[in-house]
Amino acid sequence: MDLLNAFVALSNFVLVPAIAYGSQLALGALGVTLIYGILRFSNFAHGDTMAFGTMVVVLVTWLFQSWGISLGPLPTALLALPFGIAGCAALVLLTDRTVYRFYRAQKAKPVILVIVSMGVMFIMNALVRIILGTNEQNFADGERFIIGAREFKKLTGLNEGLAIKTTQGITVITAVIVVALLFWFLNRTRTGKSMRAYSDNEDLALLSGIDPERVVVITWVIVAALATVAGTLYGLDKSYKPFTYFLLLLPIFASAIVGGLGNPLGAIAGGFVIAFSEVTVTYAWKKVLGYLMPESLEPDGLVQLMSTDYKFAVSFAILLVVLLFKPTGLFKGKSV
Amino acid sequence: MSGNPYQDDHGNHDASITNRSGGGHMDSAPGSAAKMHTGDAFLIGDSMTGGYGKTGPDILHNCTIAVNKGEIAVIVGPNGAGKSTAMKATFGMLNLRQGAVRLDGEDITDLSPQDRVVKGMGFVPQTSNIFTSMTVEENLEMGAFIRRDDYRDTMAQVYDLFPILKEKRRQAAGELSGGQRQQVAVGRALMTQPKVLLLDEPTAGVSPIVMDELFDRIIEVARTGISILMVEQNARQALEIADKGYVLVQGANAHTGTGKDLLADPEVRQSFLGG
Amino acid sequence: MSDTTRKIGLFALVGALIVLTGLMQSWNSALQILNMGLISAIMALGVNLQWGFAGLFNVGVMGFVALGGLATVLVATDPVPEAWKAGGPGILIALLMGAGTIVLASAAYRKLPKGAVRTLALLAILIVGFLAYRWVFDPSVEAVEAINPAAQGNLGGLGLPVLLAWPVGGVLAAGAAWIIGKTALGLRSDYLAIATLGIAEIIIAIMKNEDWLARGVKNVIGLPRPVPYEIDLQESASFVEKATSLGLDPTTASTLWVKGLYAVLFTVVLLVILWMAQMALHSPWGRMMRAIRDNETAAEAMGKDVTRRHLQIFILGSAVCGIAGAMMTTLDGQLTPGTYQPLRFTFLIWVMVIVGGSGNNLGAVLGGFLIWFLWVQVEPIGLWLMELITSGMADGALKTHLLDSAAHMRLLTMGLVLLLVLRFSPRGLIPEK
Repeated sequence: MDLLNAFVALSNFVLVPAIAYGSQLALGALGVTLIYGILRFSNFAHGDTMAFGTMVVVLVTWLFQSWGISLGPLPTALLALPFGIAGCAALVLLTDRTVYRFYRAQKAKPVILVIVSMGVMFIMNALVRIILGTNEQNFADGERFIIGAREFKKLTGLNEGLAIKTTQGITVITAVIVVALLFWFLNRTRTGKSMRAYSDNEDLALLSGIDPERVVVITWVIVAALATVAGTLYGLDKSYKPFTYFLLLLPIFASAIVGGLGNPLGAIAGGFVIAFSEVTVTYAWKKVLGYLMPESLEPDGLVQLMSTDYKFAVSFAILLVVLLFKPTGLFKGKSV
Repeated sequence: MSGNPYQDDHGNHDASITNRSGGGHMDSAPGSAAKMHTGDAFLIGDSMTGGYGKTGPDILHNCTIAVNKGEIAVIVGPNGAGKSTAMKATFGMLNLRQGAVRLDGEDITDLSPQDRVVKGMGFVPQTSNIFTSMTVEENLEMGAFIRRDDYRDTMAQVYDLFPILKEKRRQAAGELSGGQRQQVAVGRALMTQPKVLLLDEPTAGVSPIVMDELFDRIIEVARTGISILMVEQNARQALEIADKGYVLVQGANAHTGTGKDLLADPEVRQSFLGG
Repeated sequence: MSDTTRKIGLFALVGALIVLTGLMQSWNSALQILNMGLISAIMALGVNLQWGFAGLFNVGVMGFVALGGLATVLVATDPVPEAWKAGGPGILIALLMGAGTIVLASAAYRKLPKGAVRTLALLAILIVGFLAYRWVFDPSVEAVEAINPAAQGNLGGLGLPVLLAWPVGGVLAAGAAWIIGKTALGLRSDYLAIATLGIAEIIIAIMKNEDWLARGVKNVIGLPRPVPYEIDLQESASFVEKATSLGLDPTTASTLWVKGLYAVLFTVVLLVILWMAQMALHSPWGRMMRAIRDNETAAEAMGKDVTRRHLQIFILGSAVCGIAGAMMTTLDGQLTPGTYQPLRFTFLIWVMVIVGGSGNNLGAVLGGFLIWFLWVQVEPIGLWLMELITSGMADGALKTHLLDSAAHMRLLTMGLVLLLVLRFSPRGLIPEK
């Protein structure tokens, strides 16, 4: 019984949140890794791209709510998601047209594009602040829990409750669907394969008649979709505050690099590695250990390895350890 | 510092922000306006003079390379003679200041490499000539990217030609041996059903046994009616299978003749084939 | 010749902008812009050393600047003896134990043969080390933080003159840079960008959370100054007399005098660093740095140890940022870890370097002044524009929203300036020759 209680407590505070957070990071890292693979630079504006897409979702959600449209127990934001993706795609395509395309024609070095993406980051950041302000925005509605802690206790008769938020469930399901679609696209369709070919060997792709501009446009659209979905899920699960998306850059970069930059499978693995280490290291283990240890050995402190404010330090430490032992990331990335 | 400020990366190679693998380096050349006399070869690079880039020094000097239908033409010569350059010139990767390139009588001097592919030229670069992260079959599919018709027959023909590829078709091309990779590269180029195939040192870095096998396959390809123009380091073996050979020295034609003639020519033997 | 004219013209323009601020707004604002411009110029010089001369992509400028700020607290504030007695030795011992654990672990990694034994030994060392560290550390920290938490709750500093904090800030930043560079530059392909991005956030996290160090988010205020206090000046008869003789009211005169003194101090530091940077870059060492940048393969072939050179310049550049950080905290008179934002302290400095001209020290200085001026002035200009635009509108939510959004114009402007310069003048306003 104690073992079961310990497991439930562990699930409630560590496993479930980490899986949800990991899915969000994985989606974000996929976007970064696609840009890295195809446009060959790390996009510093990715966090703000996420914030922008989510902002559109928030606005459309409010519009729907004012019209009385809802999805019942599910958040209305899911209905607004396609609009957010479209808005975000329009913005990144406009950015590509007006900004990035010039540098491609110049055959600019990737590091110049990194600096360019800083400029884009400033502008996107400002756009979100100007349109929506800097305050925390709440746009989640519908049922709060799939299963609440009290119901769970009643159902199982355990001491510990397990609460699964609707947003957590939606996060995982959406992430699975999106990732499956992405992998189907990349591995099974002609266009997807041409993207992989372009990423693998640009010259040979050109010789094979693959149109680079088309590949780039499709990449941006996919990245916009991934960023919007990731941002919306994160916003539903936690809360929407533009600045937090900027701060997500570090764990997202860390996920993409840990997994192996340019490798989509790696981005997913990296997202979960980072999420699980952040949550486990910053979780107070007192409760779980309390069930597992004999009474005499029960810990009196919180048994928290590090305070939650150090979660960046955890992402970073994991990143460093992986790079020291496996310089190309867990899955073979392109950064040799 | 380089001339183009956008290409000045200050020596940065930070892999966490920039991806340095697989990027493109290819520049297509605009060609030249000068018209020269026409030969009757299937593909001819006629009196070509030019070098890389707009300002690069001339590497080729009035160099002519031609190949007839269904024949094998081989370019040999000492290191730095401009062998690969001559072949790339026929494929539109060089700034021609003089001369012309014609395919089947049509002037293609001003076409980009991609357009030449559409016209029926296939090119197998010396290095980075396969998509290493993709499977063998995907490599062939990408070779057929410009084709909108059913290319399954062509793929079957490639598999017939290179049976080992059929066996390994689900394997990542990067995991194959050197000789197998070259087969993938040639197979990829064949997927467009080219009329002429350009091979840049197809046997570089493979063992002598594999080299013989590759040459056999190349002869088989030529028998199907595809003209082959190739650059080779292994001059003797290459000339043995060549219908026509070009010996280049410092970017100019030094000797031209059938493979047999060149092998028998004492001067060629003396200076290029080691006696 | 036209090159020199251009430089003089651009600097004159910046000077004119600041004078214009003085005439149109107030001389206090003008001096404030000048002071922060001087500090920004120094930060830009540091980043320019790394990026312009070695291609090192440091996106953790914020961290080094913050370390400089921390140095100010650690050097200039008075020690808290009770806190030292309560937990000082414990904290020091714990930190030494932590460092020892890492040294031991890395020794074990190098000495032991590869295999399960090594992994287990490594894990054991790390776990035992961590537990022991926390066992000593936690109670000491609690004891320190319990001492007069409203005003102190930290160990305090050394009580030394605040000017000493500037070089110490540089040393602290250099130390951090050494650790980062040693790991990130030593990897097969370098990962400096992500490493600096991460370490900067960690430094800020430490400064926010370790209250025993510098009170965390409770901030340290009232840091000692290297210049007199306005209030003392206003009470000094001779100063008041001098001010009135110049036709100034004593309050304004005192604030101007203090800011002016800071400006003199900062100018001296800027000139010294600029002079040193110029000397270094025209020395054989500097020529070698540029040779490495322009052709690393050739430099390596000549037997130059590229990683070592990169580490040197990374440390130097970071130290310069640390010095600037200490100067800024001194100017502010307080350390507020919550205000360190990457956009302001990392990416804005990058805009300065790119706009000024990467690879050119004078360019970096110019960029520092110009961008700082814009950063400060875009907001009032934006507000003025918005008021103009909305003047015809009826009061309402939209008007309020538009007026509020003026505050965010500066980010938009920075992005636009960076993109425009990169596009149309990619080498910056004062390009490297």
